[in-house]
Amino acid sequence: MLVANNPDVLAGLDTDASRRKFLSRFASATFAGLVAPAVLLTEFERKGGPAPAAAAAPADIVPLPDLPDAIAGQDLILRMMVDLRRALEKPIEQRRWAMIIDLRKCTGCVGCTIACVTENKLPPGIAYRPVLTETSGTYPNVSRRFVPRPCMQCDQPPCVPVCPVNATWKRPDGIVAIDYDKCIGCRYCITACPYSARSFDSGYFYSDFEGGDPQPYETVAAHEYNTDRIRRRDAAPVGKARKCHFCIHRVERGELPACIVSCMGRAGYFGDANDSTSLVSELLGQPNVMRLKEELGTEPKVYYLV
Amino acid sequence: MMKTRDRVLWVLAGVAFLVGAVGVVQRVLTGHTGAAYGSYVPWGLWVGIYTMLVGMSAGAFLLVSMVLAFRIERLAGIVRLGVVVAGATFAGGMLAVWIDLGDPLLAWRLYLATGFTSIMGWMAWFYAAFAVVLVILAWQVIWRGRTSASPAVQRLGVIGAVLAIVFAGGEGALFGVVGARDFWNSGLTPILFLVEGALSGIALVTFVGLLFGVVSDSVGRVLGRIVLGALLVLIVVEFAELSIGIYASIPAYAASVELVLAGPYWWAFWIIHVLLGVAIPLALLLFAPGRRLAIAGAAALIAVTALSTKLNLVITALAVPEIEELRGAYTGPGLRWDYFPTLMEWLVGLWILAVVALVVLAGQWLLRRRPSMTEAA
Repeated sequence: MLVANNPDVLAGLDTDASRRKFLSRFASATFAGLVAPAVLLTEFERKGGPAPAAAAAPADIVPLPDLPDAIAGQDLILRMMVDLRRALEKPIEQRRWAMIIDLRKCTGCVGCTIACVTENKLPPGIAYRPVLTETSGTYPNVSRRFVPRPCMQCDQPPCVPVCPVNATWKRPDGIVAIDYDKCIGCRYCITACPYSARSFDSGYFYSDFEGGDPQPYETVAAHEYNTDRIRRRDAAPVGKARKCHFCIHRVERGELPACIVSCMGRAGYFGDANDSTSLVSELLGQPNVMRLKEELGTEPKVYYLV
Repeated sequence: MMKTRDRVLWVLAGVAFLVGAVGVVQRVLTGHTGAAYGSYVPWGLWVGIYTMLVGMSAGAFLLVSMVLAFRIERLAGIVRLGVVVAGATFAGGMLAVWIDLGDPLLAWRLYLATGFTSIMGWMAWFYAAFAVVLVILAWQVIWRGRTSASPAVQRLGVIGAVLAIVFAGGEGALFGVVGARDFWNSGLTPILFLVEGALSGIALVTFVGLLFGVVSDSVGRVLGRIVLGALLVLIVVEFAELSIGIYASIPAYAASVELVLAGPYWWAFWIIHVLLGVAIPLALLLFAPGRRLAIAGAAALIAVTALSTKLNLVITALAVPEIEELRGAYTGPGLRWDYFPTLMEWLVGLWILAVVALVVLAGQWLLRRRPSMTEAA
C-alpha cells in the first residue's frame, strides 16, 4: 500500500497533532517529575518515616539553614518592599540599610552590574557593582563562585576621613555618599578604599569608542542622590570620585536598589537591619554570614551568605 | 651679556616648555581621558612629579633654614639660590598636583572647606604656611639683601626648618596612613619621604650652585659631604623599608616589594634608582670628594633620578589589586593595573619641569643683576 493512501500513516504525519501530543506528554512528565518527590515525601513523612534526603546524608554533615519564607503568597521582592516602606516611616537615623548576597544562588549572570550601569547611567570604565569570579580547586575538582562587589557602605569607612574637602560622608542611615559638586577629584578616597569600590570618572562616553557625538542614551538624566544630572564633559560627575550608594534615590522612593530587583536568581536582599522583623535582619541571624576583609574592622554593611 | 651656557639652558628650557605645552593643551581639551591613570591606579606620573618636587623644595629649604638658623657662615652663599630653588620646585609641585585634580577649579575648597581629618587637608595649610614663609624669606634675603646675621631672617630660618620637616614628613604621612595599601602603610614612609626630600633638594641646590658658579670649590666640598650623609641615611632607611617588607611574609606587602624589585619596571629601580641614583653618586662622592665635577655629577644624578624613587613608591603600591579577582570582573578604560604614562602625561610632566627650570633660570638671572645683595655683601 502506498503511504499516501494509508490513513494511519497520514494521521501519524499530521504534524500539528503529533506536536500537540508530544507537548502534552512532555508537560505531564515534567509536572509529574516536579510534583512526585513532594507528594512522596509528604506521604513518607505522614507515615512517620524520616525524610529521604536526611536519611541519605552522613551523620556528620549538618544541612545548611533554610532561607526564611516570604510572607504567605508573596514574592521575596514584595516582602522586601514592605520592609522598605516600613523603614521609610522611621526617622532616617533609625534606619540602617544592609545588603545581603547569597553566593549559593548567584549565577554570575552580571545582570546586577548591567542594571546598575543602566540605573545610574554609568559611563565606560565605571561599574559600581562588578561580579568577581572565584575559582577554587584543581581539575577535576574545580568549583566557581561569583561574588558581586558593591560598595560595602562601611560603618567605619576608610574613604571618608581622607577626603580633604568634606565631599564624602556617612549619612545617618549608614550610606556613604559623595557630593559631586564638592569633590575636587583628588582621588585620595579611591586609594583609601580597601575594596576598590570607588571609581574615577575620567569623562568617557560610549560614543568615544564608536565615533560621533554622544548617543541619546548617554545624555539621559541620572538620578543619583536625587538629582537630575545630564552627562556633560565639562560638568560633574566627570572628574569626580564615584561609587555605589545602594541606589538611595530609589530607596527613598520606596523602591529597591536596581541590583536587587534585577537579580534573576533572587540572590540579593536589601532592607533595614535595625528592623528585627525585616527579611535582612532574619538573614543576618544565620550562622553562614560573612563579610569581605572583616579583619580590617571597617564593618561593611554588605553581607554574604555562603 | 648672557653666557653661552646660560643661553643654551634658556633655549633647552624654552623648547621643553613649548613641547610640553602641547600636552597641557591636550589636558585642557580632553580632560583626563588622555591619561592612563584611572580607577585602579588613580595616581600616576603627575603625582610622582608633585611628590618629587615638593620633597625637593622641602630639602632645599631645609638646607637654607639650617644655614640661617645655625648661622653657618661658610654656606651663606647658597641661601639666596636655595630660596630660588625651593620656590621653583614648590611652584612646580603645586602646579603638578593642581593639573592632576579632577576638578582643578574647585581647589579653593581645600582652604574654605578643609577636612581636617585628612592629612591632605592639613597639607594644604602646611603648603600655604610654607609659601608665606618662603615669600617673606625671599623678600628679606633677595630684595632687602639681609643676611643670616639678621635676627628676623634667623627666626624665619627656624620656623622654615620646622615647617619643612613637618611638611616633608607630612607628605609621607599622606601615603603612610592609607591602610588599604600595604606598601605605603608603614611608619617608615614619612621618614623615607623626609630623607628623600632632603637628599634630592640639597643635591639640586648643590648641582645648580656648581653649575652657575655660585658656590666655590670649598663650599662645594662641604655640600658634597652633606649630600653623601643624606645618601647614606637614605640607603639605610630604604633598605629597612624594603627588607622588612620582603621578609614580613605578608603576601600583599611582599607582592608590592617584589613588583618594585622584579616587576615589569625593575629597571626603574635597579638601573635608574640604584645604579644611577645611588651607586654612581655614592662612588663619586666617596672616591672623588674633592672634585668639583664629581660632586656636581653626583648631585645631578641624585636630583634627576629622584622621580624614579617616587614613582616606584606611588605606582607600585597601586599596581597590586586589592581584590585579585577584580582583574577579570569588569573591563573598560581606567580599569587596569599595568599603568604606564601616556604621551600627554609625559608632555605635561615635561612642561612642569620646564616651568621649574625657567623659574630657576629667571631667579639666577635676577640674583646676578643684584650682586650687591649677595650674602657676601
